[in-house]
Amino acid sequence: MNRTLNPRVALTPSLIIIVGFLTVCPVVMLIFGSFSEGLGAFGSFTLEKYTHAYTDPAFAGIIINTIIFTIGSAFVATGLALFLAYLNTRTNIPFKFLFRIISIIPMMIPHILFSVSWVLLLNPSNGLINLFLREILSLEGSPFNIYTLQGMILVEGLLDLPIAYLILAPAMASFDVSFEESSRVCGASNLRTLTRVTLPVLRPAILASFILVIVRSLASFAVPSVIGMPGRIYVLATHIYRIIATGFAADYGMAAAVGMSALAASITLIYLYRYLTSESEKYVTISSRGYNPSVIDLKNAKYPLFGIVGILSLVLIILPVLVLFYISLVPYSMVPSAKAFSMMSWKHWIEVLRDPISLLSLRNSVFLGVVGASLGVTLSVFVAYVIVKIRTRASGLLESLSFLSFSFPGIVVGVGFMWFFVHTPLYATIWALLIGYIATYLPYGIRPLTSAFVQIHSHLEESSRVCGGGTLYTLRRVIIPLLIPGIVSGWILMATMFVRELTLSVVLSRPGTEVLAVQIFRFAEDGLWGQLSALGIIMIFISSTLVVIASLIGAKLTKVETVSQ
Amino acid sequence: MGISIKGLNKDYFSEGKRIRALADVDLTIPARQIFTLLGPSGCGKTTLLRCIVGLETPDSGEIAIGGETVWSKEKGIFVPPEKRGLNMVFQTYAIWPHMNVFDNVAYPLQTRKEPKKDIIKKVKKTLRFVQLEGFENRPATKLSGGQQQRVALARALIAEPKVILFDEPLSNLDAKLREETRKELRDFLTELKITAVYVTHDRVEALALSDSIAVMKDGSIMEIGSPKKIYFHSDHRFVADFIGRANLVEGRVRAVEDSYAIIDSSIGTITCPKSPDTSPGNTVSICIRPEFIRVMEKNTRESRNIFRGKVDSLVFIGEVYEGEIIIGDTRIFTRIEPTLTIREGDEITLFLDPDHCFVISE
Repeated sequence: MNRTLNPRVALTPSLIIIVGFLTVCPVVMLIFGSFSEGLGAFGSFTLEKYTHAYTDPAFAGIIINTIIFTIGSAFVATGLALFLAYLNTRTNIPFKFLFRIISIIPMMIPHILFSVSWVLLLNPSNGLINLFLREILSLEGSPFNIYTLQGMILVEGLLDLPIAYLILAPAMASFDVSFEESSRVCGASNLRTLTRVTLPVLRPAILASFILVIVRSLASFAVPSVIGMPGRIYVLATHIYRIIATGFAADYGMAAAVGMSALAASITLIYLYRYLTSESEKYVTISSRGYNPSVIDLKNAKYPLFGIVGILSLVLIILPVLVLFYISLVPYSMVPSAKAFSMMSWKHWIEVLRDPISLLSLRNSVFLGVVGASLGVTLSVFVAYVIVKIRTRASGLLESLSFLSFSFPGIVVGVGFMWFFVHTPLYATIWALLIGYIATYLPYGIRPLTSAFVQIHSHLEESSRVCGGGTLYTLRRVIIPLLIPGIVSGWILMATMFVRELTLSVVLSRPGTEVLAVQIFRFAEDGLWGQLSALGIIMIFISSTLVVIASLIGAKLTKVETVSQ
Repeated sequence: MGISIKGLNKDYFSEGKRIRALADVDLTIPARQIFTLLGPSGCGKTTLLRCIVGLETPDSGEIAIGGETVWSKEKGIFVPPEKRGLNMVFQTYAIWPHMNVFDNVAYPLQTRKEPKKDIIKKVKKTLRFVQLEGFENRPATKLSGGQQQRVALARALIAEPKVILFDEPLSNLDAKLREETRKELRDFLTELKITAVYVTHDRVEALALSDSIAVMKDGSIMEIGSPKKIYFHSDHRFVADFIGRANLVEGRVRAVEDSYAIIDSSIGTITCPKSPDTSPGNTVSICIRPEFIRVMEKNTRESRNIFRGKVDSLVFIGEVYEGEIIIGDTRIFTRIEPTLTIREGDEITLFLDPDHCFVISE
């Protein structure tokens, strides 16, 4: 018998083991941890953590805050996204390229920096806008206070706007225009058509966006920690953080017990989301007659509406970076003025570049970004290959496993991994962070690669096999070169995520394994805004550099035209 | 090298329904021949080809190439495609868009790590053979359909495979180019004396290219034979109808005289060559191809197979009229010379060549 161990056959099970470990391990450890006495006493069963966590009188308030925060953010993000998507796909608003920028750029700005810049603008003691208004209106107190639930909702809503937009814009663009046309033929006005036909037909997509934003804001840590904690407004994520990071003794058992409810809520919502997206594919008909852009003439409203969009893009993109850069140069928060400009110096930058912990965090983050993204993308290539090209029941299982972590809130995964790493030599090493990162962000690598694989005709692979190329040879000579564009975008996504990672790192990072976002978070806790801003700009710079380098390498590797088949 | 296939089965599951792609296929493909699998889409011909090459796994049965078993459920043998020593030309050509012509063609040699010098020499030789001399550095995306097809052929030939398989390789070419390429392909393959298995649904292609044709239907092989045998003396009604236009007339054998059978049919008495099925009293189907029906003068000297009929429709398609003639209650398709002056509604006399009417056994 010449039936040797075929690498093609062994691929699926080994990937299921690896990905299964990465995604299931933190959850299993979280469950066991929640029933254990403490990190040192793993496995000694107790229900005490649950009773303790859920009988805490403050817990009800935290749940209410969480609900208001997540639903509020969902309203803000979905409402704004609807507005922008409608204007872009259905009206003759000018400068449409701006919409693409608005939908992509905020992803490039790390959430913690975005939150910090809003704190710098609107905090009650020395927020720039508050200072400015106090000066010109000679007010006693500050008109705005960012450290409130409303402030959190505003910032989180703006941060999640791109996700909502990316769900709603394609749904609106592919929506069959004849629905609207028939309504207008029936004599309905534009507005009536919008409210009676367009929005109801888009309802599944709107709900999907709404739910996804709830999941994201439930998992969000940057906004609740930077904006919520100073105002003593706690949501589930910050509550978990408080349990493990403050007070006299970190209680990982109780954190796990609280984490269980965040996890359960998140998984339920993701299932609802998946159900809705499959529904929306059913109802939002993509007409094959070709997209017929029947745009609505905005007439006089054209420029005022564009003004709103312009202000939004200013607020989303330019303002945060500008504020950070400004604050990194002035000695303390002050309204821009001649005096402020005369006092500008590189003091904060020099301090940061001399601070050993900041430098260490810089090194760690670059290492995690480069090495982590490379390993993560390598794994993603194999996983995406099995998902798209080897369609068996086992590959279906792999697909579900690899997208599972989408529904896990980062801080909960962090607590789960903590329970695991504590029992391994990886604890408090950079490799613990690396494994955690890959586990949490695997879908970001797999997504672009699955779509790349879908585009490669199976004949291209089969002809290599027939020509004598084994599985690995085929992978190296045919599949991977054709995948380079997908690999590059997967790498860029993962690398930028890793360089800015906060939520997971805040749990797993120990002295010696500090990373950029955690260091920035420490600066925020200590109110060192100048140094924070300098380090923040460095972080944005590193992300952008990685993106540029990856794109250049990708362009060099793919000198060939696009895949035609 | 010949291919022998025994008891091959393969089922597909599509939307909860079981589809038999291959139903107990037994087949011997002789060496150094062009062997064609012909059939309508969904008949299992491509599945059979993919099983031979190893891209698909049958459910049961056995495949041997040149005496070596490459797949057997019972013996637990599965030789992967890259180790079967075959090559294949795909319907889409599967030219790798990120490589130039040289790398595409050299690929099979590169997988075997042959010395660079030999590879360059062989690529040059093969490209000359397929008339693409000097195309080595052309990017694959800058090739026309016909050129891609030839690159695919060069890639399939270069490593001198035992068997070369073709999966509808001409179906993506336009009609004129298809005719030219078909002729070229025939010349290439005859020159190389190679075993070729060719899958197509195009009967003209099959007739023009093949040494033998196997006609498939619903996962089974209906009939195997030379193009002439399949065309003139097919045993099956389905095959007769699929391979060309056919008039099928039912009748009962009245008598057998010398080498002819006399059959009472729905259009009258037909004389045709006798066959094992033409014992007097048997019910039979007779196949008459339109091109063997001639329009005669009213008082022709022919005495056999003369019928009177009314022209029901007449369509001028260039080289002939396609006519539908009603004889009794039966509609007969004919091809009528375009120079004849006949109009719809005319009564005409038809002569069915007795040597080209044949009885279908099933």
